[in-house]
Amino acid sequence: MNRGSWTAALLLAVAFHVPRATLHAQAQAQAAAQAPAAPDTMAFYKALDLEASGKYRDAAPLFRSALHTTAAVNALLGLERVYAELGWSDSLLKPLDTLIAAAPREETYRTVQLRTLQSLGRDADLRAAFERWAHDQPTSSAPYREYARLLMQRNQITAADSVLARAKQSLGTTKDLQLEVAQARAAQGEWVESANAWREALRSADYLEQAAAYALAPTPSATRQQVRDVFLAPPIEVPARRALSDLETSWGSAADGWTALKDLPPDSISAEAWSEFAKRAEADERWTLARDALESALKWKRTPALALRAATAALNVGDAAAAMRLAPMADAHGDSTLAAREYLPVQARALAALGRPADAERLVAAYDRFLAPGARASLTRTIAWGWVRTGDMAHARAALAENGVEGDSSDAAGWLALYDGNLKTARTLLRGGTESSPELALALGLIARLKVDSSAAIGQAFLALARGDSAGAAAQLVQAADRTPGGRSLLLATAAQIQLARKNDVEATALWKRIIASDPDTPEAPEAELEWARSLHRAGDTAGATTHLEHLILTYPQSALVPQARRELDALKAATPSV
Amino acid sequence: MSMYKLNKFKRALGAAARRALCVAAGLLAVGAPAALAQKLLVPMDDAQQNHLKAYGLTYNAIKAGASAEWLLNYRGGSFLLSDTPDLRRQAALAGITVEPIDNAKVADIRTEIAANNMEAVPLEKAPKIAVYTPPDALPWDDAVTLALKYAGIEYTPIYDDEVERGDLSKYDWLHLHHEDFTGQLNKFYLTYRDVPWFIDLLQKNTATAKRLGFANIPALKKDVAEKIREFVERGGFLFAMCGATETLELAIAARNVDIAQSFIDGTPMDPDADKKLDWSRTLAFRDAHLEQSPFVNSMSDIDGHQVNAAGRQQPLGTFTLFNFSAKFDPVASMLVQDHRAVINDFYGVTTSFNKAVLKPADIVLASEEGAPWVKYIHGDYGKGTWTYYGGHDPEDPRHQIGNPPTDLSLFKNSPGYRLILNNVLFPAAKKKPLKT
Repeated sequence: MNRGSWTAALLLAVAFHVPRATLHAQAQAQAAAQAPAAPDTMAFYKALDLEASGKYRDAAPLFRSALHTTAAVNALLGLERVYAELGWSDSLLKPLDTLIAAAPREETYRTVQLRTLQSLGRDADLRAAFERWAHDQPTSSAPYREYARLLMQRNQITAADSVLARAKQSLGTTKDLQLEVAQARAAQGEWVESANAWREALRSADYLEQAAAYALAPTPSATRQQVRDVFLAPPIEVPARRALSDLETSWGSAADGWTALKDLPPDSISAEAWSEFAKRAEADERWTLARDALESALKWKRTPALALRAATAALNVGDAAAAMRLAPMADAHGDSTLAAREYLPVQARALAALGRPADAERLVAAYDRFLAPGARASLTRTIAWGWVRTGDMAHARAALAENGVEGDSSDAAGWLALYDGNLKTARTLLRGGTESSPELALALGLIARLKVDSSAAIGQAFLALARGDSAGAAAQLVQAADRTPGGRSLLLATAAQIQLARKNDVEATALWKRIIASDPDTPEAPEAELEWARSLHRAGDTAGATTHLEHLILTYPQSALVPQARRELDALKAATPSV
Repeated sequence: MSMYKLNKFKRALGAAARRALCVAAGLLAVGAPAALAQKLLVPMDDAQQNHLKAYGLTYNAIKAGASAEWLLNYRGGSFLLSDTPDLRRQAALAGITVEPIDNAKVADIRTEIAANNMEAVPLEKAPKIAVYTPPDALPWDDAVTLALKYAGIEYTPIYDDEVERGDLSKYDWLHLHHEDFTGQLNKFYLTYRDVPWFIDLLQKNTATAKRLGFANIPALKKDVAEKIREFVERGGFLFAMCGATETLELAIAARNVDIAQSFIDGTPMDPDADKKLDWSRTLAFRDAHLEQSPFVNSMSDIDGHQVNAAGRQQPLGTFTLFNFSAKFDPVASMLVQDHRAVINDFYGVTTSFNKAVLKPADIVLASEEGAPWVKYIHGDYGKGTWTYYGGHDPEDPRHQIGNPPTDLSLFKNSPGYRLILNNVLFPAAKKKPLKT
């Protein structure tokens, strides 16, 4: 769940804490505000104006006088607010007694009474007021709900739970109190019971799905599967699955978040859930999940906007063929401006990725007169990329040359310089570029620290990487290491990094060993030792991992990696709890 | 078993004689030959990068036979250890700040100690540690086992079977944490009766009680409490936190009275239980009153904060460690060695101890200013000693059931956790002969 969603969840949780009766009263107030004011409610509206301008002392007597009018409920809420501002909340108790005596079934009066007593810290009176309310309305869940909420707000979870248990005893059910039960169970660490209550609550209030995910987020790892089972149990209910999806994302697995949603029945509600999930996945650059979710949504209803999003996601996971299929130029329905703006970039990028830069060039040329200058430059770079991927550097350069000065100073020009082994130019252009990608971080991390200005082997290594040949790239970097004075350990470490990404721990380990043996005084040596220890730990060799972590700490005491090594050493020795 | 009774010894000495002794010690140290081995000073003030692991370093040094001294009130209660390659290695690995010092510096330190409210206490023998904890993991953490594990101090977990077969005699130091020795399982029945972990806990405890020949859990726990009392009486060191403090005392006082509610043993609490409690047998408290209601999550009025009793809960403040005379009261001084004097309070099933129920001989080690309760107390009982520290987890002020355990690598300078580790080391202090 992204930050915005969490904020929404929090706000939702807070919002839901406003008593339902209060919301009802506010709605009444709004309705009243739209109708012509009766003479006996004039004082109330005057009081609202005074309150809005911060004149609480002046507003208080007017709200008080309005307690005897048809606007009594809203006047009481106003009086509660201004008294709280003035620190006079205790003055509310007497009018409340009168109001409750006159209208004992009005929930707002009772709720305000409980709130006031709680804010005054009069716990015994609070309890007594709750008991009176429960006695006067023996079939209502409201007294239990409001009192339990107040107790939970004060973190008196056990007490709140006792109130809910009593509600079950008195009312025979807690069906209307599932939200409170869910919150109390979560606060007590009864995660599975809480999940059950949330699922029940979501049946009647689907807007609580983010609140459910927020409340269940702290579930310990060992209990998470049981919580999953609660939400996945048949029948399939969209709010429950959406809550689980949010929960899985908060637990760090967006993939499991998608698992919760993918088997929803295809209908408009599910399609909305898929589309929203995709939106979050797109924001987090989890393109595979975004593509799957968008393709599911497309199966229910195909819209051009969804199709374009799906095509972009497919491109970003390297599925260029799917991208071409999802957003064909024909979808623009003859609107060339729309085609040039929305569909052409997707198609050109897909063609370049498929090794068909000539086709991309032709397509771009066909829409040239509909392109804005910035868009044209971008497409030219895309085409240049396509030529790079086919290994035709002359064509790539020619494509960039069409962009003139802009092309020469672009990111793509920086990459071309790097592939040529011209590290000096690449350093300047890539550093000042607008692109950001893991490949750029790798390239800049390397060439910014190397003292040499040219190296054909390094250029070949990055060219191999661009063509998807990571093994070749690693081999080229190892070759370059021996020919690059002062950069050997860095090049070997980068090669090891690539091998690690290929999950080839054997080759990576050989490189780490070489760094430690041949360049023990470089910053890459402790880094290599740490990675080696991690690799051994992954392979189950705890003793070996311990030896390397200890060696790192003792040999490189000044390294910035020492605190991390200590932390991992503690974890290996079970000195710190595993979470 | 080593026992520190230096306080009594020192009190017996005249002030003049004491001054002469201190000066002599200082002169001897200054005149010591330079060829003597160097020392490692383990500072415990703000210069220390990892206070908690420093205790483990010292404990394991003593265990390995190295010489060690605890420099009370000197730079936050520092340790002075033999300078060995292995200790330096261990310190470097753990990130513990150590300062190699020569004999001249050692002499300077001894002179400073002699002239101020400080003392150098030799640490002789690493105590054998047992932690009374159920074999199955429960959904809450235990501050002491967390601290011991993080510091690298070895301990043996024991539970009812081991206590009942007499294993306590194998240990010098016993820690109790969340156990409810009244046998009512912390009254969690009120809230958790349908929760799997509680059902499991109830079944296992009931089975243990039957297996060991007791009618029910309260009967078993009372007997365990009695054996713990005897352990202290015979010379053991007891350290307890959280609910174990209060319920151990109640169980001992209620040796012949039914104080358990019917949900756990099938019979209600004896209506006259309060009057029948025998406080002459308890370690720390007297004249406390039992909570009579089975529906109120509280055991008695021993706890000042009553965290789980609706309407009674008191807010958390801070507690202040007392400053004792290191030369006259070295035991109390050891227990309060810290780099902070004022520490944020933290809740537990039992958070604090009402002053009204303390026995007159109790030594208050820390309290909240202006509050009717204290936080940290200590006393002698028979040939042994006990220390009670209220609250559950010093770095998690509201530890809830189900919360993840505290990762002490994030709190390696915790002043609250230091108090726990002071208790682990103080039984190592060398017994000095009483001059009678």
